[in-house]
Amino acid sequence: MEALLKGLDILYLAKCDAAKTGQTWQAFLPAGSLVRAAERLLKADYFIEDICAVDCVEGFVVVYHFDHFEAPGRVTLRVVVPHAAPQLPSIAGIFSGAEWHERETRDFHGVLFTGNPNFIPLLIDPEMADCFPLRKEEKARAKAKAMLEAGEVIFCAPAFTLMTPDAPAEANEPGGDQPATA
Amino acid sequence: MTRYQNIDHLAGDFYTQNFAQTAAEGNLILNLGPQHPSTHGVLRVVVELDGEYIMRAEPILGYLHRMHEKMAEVKTAAQFIPNMGRVDYGHALGWNWAFVGAVEKAAGIEVPERAEYVRVITCELNRIASHLLWWGAYLLDLGAFTPIMYAFDDREKVLDILQDPTGSRLTYSYYRIGGVAKDLSQDCLDSIRAFIPWFRSRLPMYKDLVTDNIILRKRIEDIGVIEKDACRRFGATGPVARGSGINYDVRRNEPYSVYPKLDFEIPTSERKCARGRYDVRMAEMEQCLRIIEQALEMMPEGDILVKGAPKPSWKVPAGEAYFAVEGARGKIGAYVVSDGGKNIYRTKLRAPGFCNLSLFAEVSRGTILADAVAILGSLDLIIPEIDR
Amino acid sequence: MNAIPAELLHIVIGLVAVAASVGLIGLVMVWVERKVAGHIQRRPGPFEVGPSGVLQPLCDALKLVGKQLFMPLGADPILFWLAPVLAFLPVLLLFLPLPVGDGLQALDINLGLLLILAFSGLAVLSVLLAGWASNNKYGLLGAARGVAQSVAYEIPLLLSVLSVSFVAGSLNLATVVEGQGTWPWNWNIMTQPLAFLIYSVSAFGETNRAPFDLPEAESELTAGFHTEYSGMGFGLFFLAEYANMVVVCAVATALFLGGWHGPVLPGPVWFVLKVSALMLLMVFARWTFPRVRFDQLLNINWKWLLPLAVANLLLTAFFVKLAQFA
Repeated sequence: MEALLKGLDILYLAKCDAAKTGQTWQAFLPAGSLVRAAERLLKADYFIEDICAVDCVEGFVVVYHFDHFEAPGRVTLRVVVPHAAPQLPSIAGIFSGAEWHERETRDFHGVLFTGNPNFIPLLIDPEMADCFPLRKEEKARAKAKAMLEAGEVIFCAPAFTLMTPDAPAEANEPGGDQPATA
Repeated sequence: MTRYQNIDHLAGDFYTQNFAQTAAEGNLILNLGPQHPSTHGVLRVVVELDGEYIMRAEPILGYLHRMHEKMAEVKTAAQFIPNMGRVDYGHALGWNWAFVGAVEKAAGIEVPERAEYVRVITCELNRIASHLLWWGAYLLDLGAFTPIMYAFDDREKVLDILQDPTGSRLTYSYYRIGGVAKDLSQDCLDSIRAFIPWFRSRLPMYKDLVTDNIILRKRIEDIGVIEKDACRRFGATGPVARGSGINYDVRRNEPYSVYPKLDFEIPTSERKCARGRYDVRMAEMEQCLRIIEQALEMMPEGDILVKGAPKPSWKVPAGEAYFAVEGARGKIGAYVVSDGGKNIYRTKLRAPGFCNLSLFAEVSRGTILADAVAILGSLDLIIPEIDR
Repeated sequence: MNAIPAELLHIVIGLVAVAASVGLIGLVMVWVERKVAGHIQRRPGPFEVGPSGVLQPLCDALKLVGKQLFMPLGADPILFWLAPVLAFLPVLLLFLPLPVGDGLQALDINLGLLLILAFSGLAVLSVLLAGWASNNKYGLLGAARGVAQSVAYEIPLLLSVLSVSFVAGSLNLATVVEGQGTWPWNWNIMTQPLAFLIYSVSAFGETNRAPFDLPEAESELTAGFHTEYSGMGFGLFFLAEYANMVVVCAVATALFLGGWHGPVLPGPVWFVLKVSALMLLMVFARWTFPRVRFDQLLNINWKWLLPLAVANLLLTAFFVKLAQFA
């Protein structure tokens, strides 16, 4: 996985516990690296499982799940976009199936995917397509690190603090391990 | 964000107008559905026809969208299980399993062995019922009015068997977090044992009368060729991928439950066309019988629900988990993210039909309208799971 | 005061008999079709109304007659209502030249076969009018398919029928029947088996019966050219389809299966039995086979039936000429 994303600008890369969370690798990417990462994954024969968004305190965490037909092992790419301007480049040019997943994410959360070939509402009626049902209220949002698995960190960009644990008493290693489940 | 306005009623609604913007002069724009005598469900496909040839097609979703993922955010985990029975009425137990499995994974709950076997047996029976429904409906689409009656006769037996433990005949909510709701009674086990040889005797008749029929073969061979690369780009799984030669089955590639202990084949076809997908599903029914036989032999005595199983008000511990099962249509995935609160923070339901249908626009280009119907049928679509 | 010519009286009585029997045939066929369909599909079919559901078609007919007649917005009023009438009325004429028994023929005309073939062509027009006048895209597609199919399948039908007429030396159905004998080995099917096969397939194509029923393909086109018709409009199309089926089977009986010939029982009884057997075969075929795709349907016609029919005709003509010299 590290070899796959080599040379790309990534924020966070961790090996995960598939028995606990179902994913083998996860990576946080800036919006700029998303398309090239998707290209590399397609070249490595991964297929797209789904795209969804989770509304957290820090922003919308858009989660991309990929899996492999011959060498199974789920790979998760995550991109965090701010609530005020939720915009991402579309990977529909690479994974054609992403078009529908991105349209659905726009319907539910309002995340815009620039470059999506047919960016009209998919599931919600066009007349009420701006209701974004899965957006949460300010007080109902939770922090991403409290829910998402930290995993065994391979790389963490110094400025990336989304996944670093809060309590100073528990932080003995930089970007250290945190148990995923309570 | 812009507001979409529908102005001209004769020109069609928003989607038809959007589609018609790039239509060529002289081509006919036709809506197949959403009300349709064909048994796909509430699917609407806008096609641009040049005579009988489809120049472009676009499936329009949302007619059955009930926002299950929002319901998951206002219900507790245990309260959401009945929703899973309604997402896909064809293979409801598969969806039951996906969600319950994801929650169990997130909470680290281990299911007792007997419960695992019960889950396997009931899920495979449900798969047979789903494939029978697909088969009958597919042939009805192609103009053969009789096979659906025979398929439903077989289905009646399966539904009668499943009625006893689950209490339902179609939209099951049988699995619980930590096991299943009720054990299989001796009557139920006897009727399963009686069903297996009886159904085995029916399959050769279906092969002789239907599968080998020259008219059917001409309708489905070399129709709707899907290359492996397309499966990858669209995320197609299940019989759609296996019919294109990709040997991918969640039961083998991402094993769960007691499937590693069971001996069964994964039928694939190198044909890549509708005939390949058809063959895969027919062969899968035989493999289901094999799995059920072995599971009946190997099933131990024991609990069917883990001790200290969560009560309905139980909160899922904080964390995330993705659990996938092999459904009749493909890989059913449930992704739950929990913050430890009363409701699950985010539930994402990955429907195999969603990804399978998304490749229809590409596959149907240049085909004849009658072939489009054959292709849609071969994808085995259940619209409620696509729309959720 | 002039006496009414006997010919005219003959035809009028014939027409009345035909009209009555077409209505009766419609009722009986609906019941037979639904019962056979039921039993093939492992279910009883109609059984509530009347003993074994015999009164079901009557109830259906009353329902159809009682329904409101309405026309879709934008449909052409004249053509819309003309289409079902045009589908049904000519069919009555088609029954006239059929020899039901020895000397029992409503219209003894030397061009009997030509009359039948000519008037069955009007059915094509009615399909086209129905689809066009409906102001409905499905109807239009169904009509286009229907026209292409009907026009295509008329040709092998004609050629196979001609082969038999060549042998018999006449287009009069009564003459053709008289040329055959009592027993199956004396029937024309023995001398013209290929023509019988071609005729059978073309018959399915001409009457839009499954497996060639794409113009009314339910799962694709809602109901094809008669989508917008309900009530008696649909009823007329329905009746016309069954009547066409009877005509086609009756012509097959007369041409290939010895007409009213048969041991012991009187002519008309044998005629009815043979026609019923053929009708039953058509019903069986509908509920057994899936639909043939439209381009495959036309391919069968142009690439297989037509060359075979032409070859058959040429061969027949050759042997007939040879027999004249012998």
